[in-house]
Amino acid sequence: MTPVREAYGLPLILLTVVLIGGIRLTTPVVIDPPTLFSLVLASVLLAVFARSGVVDPSRLLHQDRSALANLNGMLVLFALFLANAQVISRLTPDAGLPALAVSVLFFVTLLQLGAARLDRTRCLRMWAVTLLSAFVVKFVILGALAGPADRPVARALQALVDGLTFGSLSLPLERPAAGYLAFAMLGTYLIGLVLLPAAHRRALLVRRS
Amino acid sequence: MTESLLRAGGAALTVAYAVLIGWLATSQPQSIAEVTGGLAATFGAYEVDAISFQEGLRLFREEQFEAARTAWSRADPAGRDPRTQFYVAYSFYRQGWGRVSHDDALYAAGLDALARAVAAAPGGHVTVSDPNLQIHTADELEAELRAGQTQDWSDLNPLRVFRSRK
Repeated sequence: MTPVREAYGLPLILLTVVLIGGIRLTTPVVIDPPTLFSLVLASVLLAVFARSGVVDPSRLLHQDRSALANLNGMLVLFALFLANAQVISRLTPDAGLPALAVSVLFFVTLLQLGAARLDRTRCLRMWAVTLLSAFVVKFVILGALAGPADRPVARALQALVDGLTFGSLSLPLERPAAGYLAFAMLGTYLIGLVLLPAAHRRALLVRRS
Repeated sequence: MTESLLRAGGAALTVAYAVLIGWLATSQPQSIAEVTGGLAATFGAYEVDAISFQEGLRLFREEQFEAARTAWSRADPAGRDPRTQFYVAYSFYRQGWGRVSHDDALYAAGLDALARAVAAAPGGHVTVSDPNLQIHTADELEAELRAGQTQDWSDLNPLRVFRSRK
Protein backbone atom coordinates (compact mmCIF):
# COMPACT_ATOMS: atom_id res chain seq x y z
CA MET A 1 0.00 0.00 0.00
CA THR A 2 1.37 3.40 -0.94
CA PRO A 3 1.81 6.11 1.72
CA VAL A 4 -0.57 8.36 -0.24
CA ARG A 5 -3.37 5.83 -0.02
CA GLU A 6 -2.69 5.21 3.68
CA ALA A 7 -2.24 8.85 4.72
CA TYR A 8 -4.81 10.55 2.47
CA GLY A 9 -6.99 8.21 0.44
CA LEU A 10 -8.36 5.81 3.03
CA PRO A 11 -8.93 8.23 5.96
CA LEU A 12 -10.58 10.82 3.74
CA ILE A 13 -12.84 8.26 2.02
CA LEU A 14 -13.90 6.70 5.32
CA LEU A 15 -14.45 10.04 7.07
CA THR A 16 -16.53 11.18 4.09
CA VAL A 17 -18.70 8.12 4.71
CA VAL A 18 -19.07 9.28 8.34
CA LEU A 19 -20.07 12.77 7.18
CA ILE A 20 -22.53 11.70 4.46
CA GLY A 21 -23.99 8.99 6.68
CA GLY A 22 -24.69 11.47 9.45
CA ILE A 23 -26.79 13.82 7.33
CA ARG A 24 -30.55 13.46 7.93
CA LEU A 25 -32.61 15.29 5.33
CA THR A 26 -35.41 16.17 7.69
CA THR A 27 -36.68 19.70 8.39
CA PRO A 28 -34.39 21.17 9.68
CA VAL A 29 -31.45 19.17 8.33
CA VAL A 30 -29.48 17.55 11.14
CA ILE A 31 -26.17 15.73 11.37
CA ASP A 32 -26.51 12.74 13.67
CA PRO A 33 -23.67 10.80 15.30
CA PRO A 34 -23.85 6.99 15.14
CA THR A 35 -26.06 5.27 17.71
CA LEU A 36 -24.59 3.47 20.71
CA PHE A 37 -25.68 0.05 19.43
CA SER A 38 -24.00 0.72 16.09
CA LEU A 39 -20.74 1.48 17.92
CA VAL A 40 -20.93 -1.94 19.57
CA LEU A 41 -21.64 -3.65 16.25
CA ALA A 42 -18.84 -1.65 14.58
CA SER A 43 -16.27 -2.93 17.05
CA VAL A 44 -17.43 -6.51 16.40
CA LEU A 45 -17.25 -5.83 12.67
CA LEU A 46 -13.70 -4.53 13.01
CA ALA A 47 -12.71 -7.81 14.64
CA VAL A 48 -14.47 -9.76 11.88
CA PHE A 49 -12.63 -7.75 9.21
CA ALA A 50 -9.28 -8.41 10.88
CA ARG A 51 -10.03 -12.12 11.20
CA SER A 52 -11.15 -12.58 7.60
CA GLY A 53 -8.29 -10.55 6.14
CA VAL A 54 -10.40 -7.64 4.88
CA VAL A 55 -7.92 -5.49 6.73
CA ASP A 56 -4.56 -6.56 8.10
CA PRO A 57 -3.90 -4.48 11.23
CA SER A 58 -0.21 -5.46 11.19
CA ARG A 59 0.17 -3.59 7.88
CA LEU A 60 -1.13 -0.46 9.59
CA LEU A 61 0.33 -0.75 13.09
CA HIS A 62 3.65 -2.52 13.59
CA GLN A 63 6.83 -1.97 15.55
CA ASP A 64 8.90 -2.07 12.34
CA ARG A 65 7.06 0.96 10.97
CA SER A 66 7.95 4.55 11.78
CA ALA A 67 5.93 6.51 14.37
CA LEU A 68 4.32 8.64 11.66
CA ALA A 69 3.38 5.56 9.65
CA ASN A 70 1.83 4.03 12.75
CA LEU A 71 -0.07 7.26 13.37
CA ASN A 72 -1.45 7.09 9.81
CA GLY A 73 -2.38 3.44 10.35
CA MET A 74 -4.11 4.23 13.62
CA LEU A 75 -6.11 7.00 11.93
CA VAL A 76 -7.17 4.57 9.18
CA LEU A 77 -8.40 2.06 11.76
CA PHE A 78 -10.18 4.80 13.73
CA ALA A 79 -11.85 6.11 10.55
CA LEU A 80 -12.82 2.54 9.58
CA PHE A 81 -14.42 2.02 13.00
CA LEU A 82 -16.41 5.26 12.71
CA ALA A 83 -17.45 4.50 9.12
CA ASN A 84 -18.63 1.01 10.14
CA ALA A 85 -20.71 2.52 12.93
CA GLN A 86 -22.15 5.27 10.76
CA VAL A 87 -23.11 2.90 7.93
CA ILE A 88 -24.85 0.52 10.34
CA SER A 89 -26.56 3.44 12.06
CA ARG A 90 -27.72 4.99 8.76
CA LEU A 91 -29.13 1.77 7.35
CA THR A 92 -31.01 0.92 10.55
CA PRO A 93 -34.53 2.41 10.64
CA ASP A 94 -34.94 5.12 13.27
CA ALA A 95 -37.55 3.54 15.51
CA GLY A 96 -40.12 0.85 16.09
CA LEU A 97 -40.34 -2.73 14.87
CA PRO A 98 -38.21 -2.18 11.72
CA ALA A 99 -35.34 -0.84 13.84
CA LEU A 100 -35.41 -3.97 15.97
CA ALA A 101 -35.63 -6.27 12.94
CA VAL A 102 -32.71 -4.66 11.08
CA SER A 103 -30.59 -4.50 14.25
CA VAL A 104 -31.14 -8.25 14.73
CA LEU A 105 -30.27 -8.79 11.04
CA PHE A 106 -26.95 -6.97 11.50
CA PHE A 107 -26.17 -8.77 14.74
CA VAL A 108 -26.87 -12.24 13.31
CA THR A 109 -24.91 -11.47 10.15
CA LEU A 110 -21.89 -10.38 12.18
CA LEU A 111 -22.07 -13.56 14.26
CA GLN A 112 -22.22 -15.63 11.06
CA LEU A 113 -19.32 -13.74 9.51
CA GLY A 114 -17.28 -14.24 12.66
CA ALA A 115 -18.06 -17.92 12.97
CA ALA A 116 -17.70 -18.81 9.29
CA ARG A 117 -14.05 -17.65 9.05
CA LEU A 118 -14.51 -16.56 5.44
CA ASP A 119 -11.74 -15.23 3.24
CA ARG A 120 -11.56 -11.56 2.27
CA THR A 121 -13.57 -11.75 -0.94
CA ARG A 122 -16.41 -13.80 0.50
CA CYS A 123 -16.57 -11.72 3.66
CA LEU A 124 -16.78 -8.49 1.66
CA ARG A 125 -19.37 -9.98 -0.67
CA MET A 126 -21.57 -11.16 2.20
CA TRP A 127 -21.27 -7.85 4.05
CA ALA A 128 -22.11 -5.91 0.88
CA VAL A 129 -25.23 -8.04 0.29
CA THR A 130 -26.32 -7.49 3.92
CA LEU A 131 -25.89 -3.73 3.61
CA LEU A 132 -27.73 -3.65 0.30
CA SER A 133 -30.60 -5.63 1.84
CA ALA A 134 -30.80 -3.20 4.76
CA PHE A 135 -30.75 -0.30 2.29
CA VAL A 136 -33.66 -1.78 0.33
CA VAL A 137 -35.64 -2.39 3.53
CA LYS A 138 -35.14 1.14 4.86
CA PHE A 139 -35.16 3.35 1.80
CA VAL A 140 -37.29 1.39 -0.67
CA ILE A 141 -39.84 -0.64 1.30
CA LEU A 142 -40.21 1.43 4.49
CA GLY A 143 -39.73 4.65 2.50
CA ALA A 144 -42.72 3.72 0.36
CA LEU A 145 -44.79 2.85 3.42
CA ALA A 146 -43.88 5.97 5.35
CA GLY A 147 -44.08 8.39 2.42
CA PRO A 148 -47.12 10.46 1.46
CA ALA A 149 -49.91 8.23 0.14
CA ASP A 150 -51.08 10.01 -3.00
CA ARG A 151 -53.16 7.16 -4.41
CA PRO A 152 -56.05 5.21 -2.89
CA VAL A 153 -54.13 1.90 -3.04
CA ALA A 154 -51.17 3.43 -1.22
CA ARG A 155 -53.45 4.93 1.41
CA ALA A 156 -55.18 1.59 1.92
CA LEU A 157 -51.82 -0.23 2.19
CA GLN A 158 -50.54 2.29 4.73
CA ALA A 159 -53.69 1.99 6.81
CA LEU A 160 -53.49 -1.81 6.66
CA VAL A 161 -49.81 -1.97 7.70
CA ASP A 162 -50.32 0.68 10.38
CA GLY A 163 -53.25 -1.26 11.81
CA LEU A 164 -51.48 -4.63 11.71
CA THR A 165 -48.36 -3.28 13.44
CA PHE A 166 -50.16 -1.00 15.92
CA GLY A 167 -48.43 2.02 14.42
CA SER A 168 -44.92 0.71 15.06
CA LEU A 169 -43.98 1.14 11.38
CA SER A 170 -44.49 4.90 11.41
CA LEU A 171 -41.15 6.54 10.68
CA PRO A 172 -39.81 10.10 10.53
CA LEU A 173 -40.18 11.40 7.00
CA GLU A 174 -37.02 12.35 5.10
CA ARG A 175 -36.77 14.06 1.72
CA PRO A 176 -36.54 11.76 -1.36
CA ALA A 177 -32.87 12.73 -1.83
CA ALA A 178 -32.05 10.92 1.44
CA GLY A 179 -32.08 7.56 -0.35
CA TYR A 180 -29.65 8.77 -3.01
CA LEU A 181 -27.37 10.21 -0.33
CA ALA A 182 -27.42 6.92 1.57
CA PHE A 183 -26.65 5.04 -1.64
CA ALA A 184 -23.67 7.33 -2.29
CA MET A 185 -22.51 6.67 1.27
CA LEU A 186 -22.82 2.93 0.75
CA GLY A 187 -20.86 3.04 -2.53
CA THR A 188 -18.09 5.16 -1.00
CA TYR A 189 -17.89 2.84 2.00
CA LEU A 190 -17.54 -0.27 -0.16
CA ILE A 191 -14.81 1.41 -2.23
CA GLY A 192 -13.04 2.22 1.04
CA LEU A 193 -13.27 -1.40 2.17
CA VAL A 194 -11.82 -2.68 -1.10
CA LEU A 195 -8.88 -0.26 -0.77
CA LEU A 196 -7.98 -1.44 2.76
CA PRO A 197 -4.63 -3.27 3.12
CA ALA A 198 -5.55 -6.94 2.95
CA ALA A 199 -3.84 -9.78 4.77
CA HIS A 200 -1.20 -11.44 2.63
CA ARG A 201 -2.24 -14.84 1.41
CA ARG A 202 -0.19 -17.69 2.78
CA ALA A 203 1.63 -19.60 0.05
CA LEU A 204 0.85 -23.27 -0.26
CA LEU A 205 4.05 -25.29 0.01
CA VAL A 206 4.20 -28.56 -1.86
CA ARG A 207 7.14 -30.75 -1.04
CA ARG A 208 8.29 -33.11 -3.77
CA SER A 209 9.37 -36.45 -2.53
CA MET B 1 12.08 12.95 4.35
CA THR B 2 9.52 13.38 1.58
CA GLU B 3 7.55 10.41 2.83
CA SER B 4 7.61 11.77 6.39
CA LEU B 5 6.22 15.09 5.18
CA LEU B 6 3.60 13.29 3.17
CA ARG B 7 2.52 11.22 6.15
CA ALA B 8 2.52 14.19 8.55
CA GLY B 9 0.39 16.18 6.10
CA GLY B 10 -2.03 13.29 5.77
CA ALA B 11 -2.35 12.90 9.54
CA ALA B 12 -2.95 16.64 10.00
CA LEU B 13 -5.55 16.68 7.23
CA THR B 14 -7.33 13.64 8.67
CA VAL B 15 -7.46 15.12 12.16
CA ALA B 16 -8.71 18.46 10.77
CA TYR B 17 -11.42 16.67 8.75
CA ALA B 18 -12.51 14.65 11.79
CA VAL B 19 -12.68 17.83 13.89
CA LEU B 20 -14.75 19.51 11.16
CA ILE B 21 -17.23 16.61 11.16
CA GLY B 22 -17.44 16.76 14.96
CA TRP B 23 -18.03 20.50 14.81
CA LEU B 24 -20.77 20.08 12.19
CA ALA B 25 -22.49 17.46 14.36
CA THR B 26 -22.43 19.67 17.46
CA SER B 27 -23.30 23.03 15.89
CA GLN B 28 -25.84 21.74 13.29
CA PRO B 29 -25.52 24.57 10.73
CA GLN B 30 -28.48 24.96 8.36
CA SER B 31 -26.82 26.71 5.43
CA ILE B 32 -23.46 27.15 3.74
CA ALA B 33 -23.35 30.69 5.16
CA GLU B 34 -23.67 29.27 8.66
CA VAL B 35 -20.89 26.77 7.96
CA THR B 36 -18.47 29.39 6.61
CA GLY B 37 -19.50 31.94 9.25
CA GLY B 38 -19.09 29.41 12.04
CA LEU B 39 -15.66 28.37 10.79
CA ALA B 40 -14.61 32.01 10.43
CA ALA B 41 -15.85 32.73 13.97
CA THR B 42 -13.80 29.79 15.27
CA PHE B 43 -10.68 31.50 13.97
CA GLY B 44 -11.88 34.96 15.03
CA ALA B 45 -12.23 36.10 11.43
CA TYR B 46 -16.00 36.61 11.28
CA GLU B 47 -17.15 40.15 10.50
CA VAL B 48 -20.58 41.70 10.19
CA ASP B 49 -21.42 43.74 7.10
CA ALA B 50 -21.61 47.21 8.70
CA ILE B 51 -23.59 48.84 5.87
CA SER B 52 -26.35 46.22 5.98
CA PHE B 53 -26.40 46.43 9.77
CA GLN B 54 -26.93 50.20 9.72
CA GLU B 55 -29.61 49.79 7.06
CA GLY B 56 -31.38 47.28 9.34
CA LEU B 57 -31.08 49.67 12.28
CA ARG B 58 -32.67 52.46 10.26
CA LEU B 59 -35.57 50.23 9.22
CA PHE B 60 -35.96 49.00 12.81
CA ARG B 61 -36.34 52.58 14.06
CA GLU B 62 -38.94 53.18 11.35
CA GLU B 63 -40.83 50.15 12.70
CA GLN B 64 -40.32 48.17 9.49
CA PHE B 65 -39.36 45.07 11.41
CA GLU B 66 -39.45 42.43 8.67
CA ALA B 67 -37.38 44.61 6.34
CA ALA B 68 -34.96 45.26 9.18
CA ARG B 69 -34.53 41.54 9.77
CA THR B 70 -33.88 40.98 6.07
CA ALA B 71 -31.09 43.57 6.20
CA TRP B 72 -29.66 42.01 9.36
CA SER B 73 -29.74 38.54 7.84
CA ARG B 74 -27.53 39.99 5.11
CA ALA B 75 -25.29 41.63 7.68
CA ASP B 76 -24.94 38.51 9.85
CA PRO B 77 -25.71 35.52 7.59
CA ALA B 78 -24.29 32.99 10.04
CA GLY B 79 -26.16 34.40 13.06
CA ARG B 80 -22.87 34.72 14.91
CA ASP B 81 -22.90 38.37 15.96
CA PRO B 82 -24.40 38.91 19.45
CA ARG B 83 -25.37 42.56 18.84
CA THR B 84 -27.15 41.85 15.54
CA GLN B 85 -28.98 38.86 16.98
CA PHE B 86 -30.01 40.98 19.99
CA TYR B 87 -31.56 43.51 17.62
CA VAL B 88 -33.26 40.71 15.68
CA ALA B 89 -34.77 39.44 18.95
CA TYR B 90 -35.79 42.98 19.86
CA SER B 91 -37.51 43.41 16.49
CA PHE B 92 -39.53 40.23 17.14
CA TYR B 93 -40.47 41.61 20.57
CA ARG B 94 -41.63 44.96 19.22
CA GLN B 95 -43.48 43.39 16.29
CA GLY B 96 -45.19 40.80 18.49
CA TRP B 97 -46.10 43.20 21.27
CA GLY B 98 -49.78 44.09 21.61
CA ARG B 99 -51.69 46.16 24.11
CA VAL B 100 -54.16 43.35 24.72
CA SER B 101 -52.26 40.24 23.66
CA HIS B 102 -48.85 39.26 22.30
CA ASP B 103 -47.97 37.14 19.26
CA ASP B 104 -46.56 33.92 20.70
CA ALA B 105 -44.96 32.81 17.42
CA LEU B 106 -43.01 36.06 17.08
CA TYR B 107 -42.00 35.93 20.73
CA ALA B 108 -40.74 32.36 20.24
CA ALA B 109 -38.71 33.50 17.23
CA GLY B 110 -37.35 36.30 19.40
CA LEU B 111 -36.23 33.81 22.02
CA ASP B 112 -34.48 31.77 19.31
CA ALA B 113 -32.59 34.84 18.11
CA LEU B 114 -31.72 35.72 21.69
CA ALA B 115 -30.37 32.22 22.25
CA ARG B 116 -28.11 32.70 19.22
CA ALA B 117 -26.94 36.05 20.63
CA VAL B 118 -26.13 34.52 24.02
CA ALA B 119 -24.39 31.53 22.42
CA ALA B 120 -22.19 33.79 20.31
CA ALA B 121 -21.34 36.26 23.09
CA PRO B 122 -18.20 35.73 25.16
CA GLY B 123 -19.36 34.52 28.56
CA GLY B 124 -22.98 34.65 27.40
CA HIS B 125 -23.35 38.32 28.37
CA VAL B 126 -25.06 40.53 25.78
CA THR B 127 -25.34 44.22 26.52
CA VAL B 128 -26.32 46.80 23.91
CA SER B 129 -26.03 50.45 24.93
CA ASP B 130 -28.47 51.99 22.48
CA PRO B 131 -30.30 55.02 23.98
CA ASN B 132 -33.26 54.35 21.64
CA LEU B 133 -33.93 51.04 23.39
CA GLN B 134 -35.46 50.57 26.82
CA ILE B 135 -34.07 47.07 27.25
CA HIS B 136 -30.31 46.79 27.10
CA THR B 137 -29.41 43.25 28.15
CA ALA B 138 -30.29 39.80 26.86
CA ASP B 139 -31.49 38.77 30.33
CA GLU B 140 -34.05 41.59 30.49
CA LEU B 141 -35.25 40.94 26.96
CA GLU B 142 -35.57 37.22 27.63
CA ALA B 143 -37.63 37.92 30.76
CA GLU B 144 -39.89 40.24 28.75
CA LEU B 145 -40.37 37.68 25.97
CA ARG B 146 -41.06 34.84 28.40
CA ALA B 147 -43.49 36.95 30.39
CA GLY B 148 -45.33 37.69 27.15
CA GLN B 149 -45.71 33.99 26.44
CA THR B 150 -46.97 33.13 29.92
CA GLN B 151 -50.71 32.98 30.50
CA ASP B 152 -51.94 33.76 34.03
CA TRP B 153 -54.62 35.72 35.88
CA SER B 154 -52.81 39.03 35.35
CA ASP B 155 -53.75 38.74 31.65
CA LEU B 156 -57.33 39.53 32.70
CA ASN B 157 -56.32 42.76 34.40
CA PRO B 158 -58.00 45.60 32.42
CA LEU B 159 -55.23 48.00 33.44
CA ARG B 160 -52.78 46.15 31.21
CA VAL B 161 -54.05 48.16 28.25
CA PHE B 162 -52.19 51.14 29.72
CA ARG B 163 -48.84 49.36 29.58
CA SER B 164 -46.36 50.62 27.06
CA ARG B 165 -44.01 48.82 24.72
CA LYS B 166 -40.35 48.97 25.67
